[in-house]
Amino acid sequence: MQASRWSAYDITVGALFVALMAVGANIASVAPFLSVLGVPLTLQTFFAILAGIVLGSRLGMFSMIVYTVLGLIGAPIFSQFSGGLGTIFSPTFGFILSYIVLAFVVGKIAETKRSPSLYVAASLVGVALNYLIGVNLFYAAMNFWVGGDGINYVIAWSSMIPFLLKDITLAVVAGLFAYRLERSFLHRTPLRQAKVS
Amino acid sequence: MSNSMIIGQYVPGESFVHRLDPRSKIAIIFFFVLIVFFANSVMSYGLLALFAIGAAASSKVPLPYIMKGLKPVWFLIIFTFLLHLIVTKEGDVLYNLWGWKIYEEGLVQGAAISLRFFLLILVTSLLTLTTTPIEITDAIEELLGPLKKIRFPVHELALMMSISLRFIPTLMQETEKISKAQASRGVDFRTGSFKDRIKAVIPLLVPLFVSAFKRAEELAMAMEARGYRGGEGRTKLRELSISKLDYYLYALFILLIIGLFLTRS
Repeated sequence: MQASRWSAYDITVGALFVALMAVGANIASVAPFLSVLGVPLTLQTFFAILAGIVLGSRLGMFSMIVYTVLGLIGAPIFSQFSGGLGTIFSPTFGFILSYIVLAFVVGKIAETKRSPSLYVAASLVGVALNYLIGVNLFYAAMNFWVGGDGINYVIAWSSMIPFLLKDITLAVVAGLFAYRLERSFLHRTPLRQAKVS
Repeated sequence: MSNSMIIGQYVPGESFVHRLDPRSKIAIIFFFVLIVFFANSVMSYGLLALFAIGAAASSKVPLPYIMKGLKPVWFLIIFTFLLHLIVTKEGDVLYNLWGWKIYEEGLVQGAAISLRFFLLILVTSLLTLTTTPIEITDAIEELLGPLKKIRFPVHELALMMSISLRFIPTLMQETEKISKAQASRGVDFRTGSFKDRIKAVIPLLVPLFVSAFKRAEELAMAMEARGYRGGEGRTKLRELSISKLDYYLYALFILLIIGLFLTRS
């Protein structure tokens, strides 16, 4: 990680995205309409993608690290208000870890050119990473803990398909939404202006 | 709900475990997670279980809170046990249920792996049950201190953690408020297909982002007005200190390690 100092603004906006992730993980509890067939929607992937695009690769990745650490030390900010160090042993912890990589890569892509189509493309790459890391670690964790042929690799993937479809849709929305933010007020914030000091 | 959000899993108390320095707790848990994997005999597992259950008991955290921490992995523990019981076919047949045989090795392996899993979860959730997030944040800043040498922004990590803890309940309330405000303006949230609901997210998120960014900006300005200049030379309101209790814990833990290696087979 580079040494350049973060301003107070960088820190508060980074913290803001940590809070948004926490809200996104449990948004159905404050906005009950956001559940489909009884399954609450989570917007974590959505906000992780936005963190990458809005904050850029470095700060975006860092805010996802903060989110992970904060959840691990016991703030109930993962989905279903869970949290605590024990989450490390949950088989779906890989998805949380993937947000760190995701935000960095999505940020890197979005930094090259600020256009709506590139934003959507970056978001889709983000979802792909999310699932590649998440499902593989899920598979590894199940086999490590359960041992032997705990779960079939194909089953691991196919159990994720409904969620994958939801997240692909949301990723497209995220890309377009980020561009809208960009045009409406992001360009006026210190995030987009060349650092003077 | 907003209140429980700040506190998280923490259960206030005055026990031995509560009064330990958070740095000691984190370090001991880290090493405990490592040594659990060395246990391989009944006695060695017994020792580890004694330590973990003893710690949980002396923390005086009510049992329901501890069980709540175990909830997400309960299923996995039982599943693991049953799977080993069914799949492993070594050792003597212990029991024969209409041609479905339970083998000795299956029982032993299943029990060992699920016990290991149980101990790991129990000890790790004890940290967050007996320590406030703020205390842990301070401890992490100190423990990760050496990482400053490789230019990892440790101070920023801790500061961002504290600020987010402050932001989370506010943003939760804000989301709830906006969702009600938009509904009263006639945005239809309740009916519609998956696609419609996804679309309904937008009128919720735009005002949320605008107000959230405003908050971040105001806070940054307030920090600068008070002379925030990064982590260097900053002093703390709460100083962590190692007490006699912590040395007792270290001694106990060293005894545990010695005991573990003596009882291994």
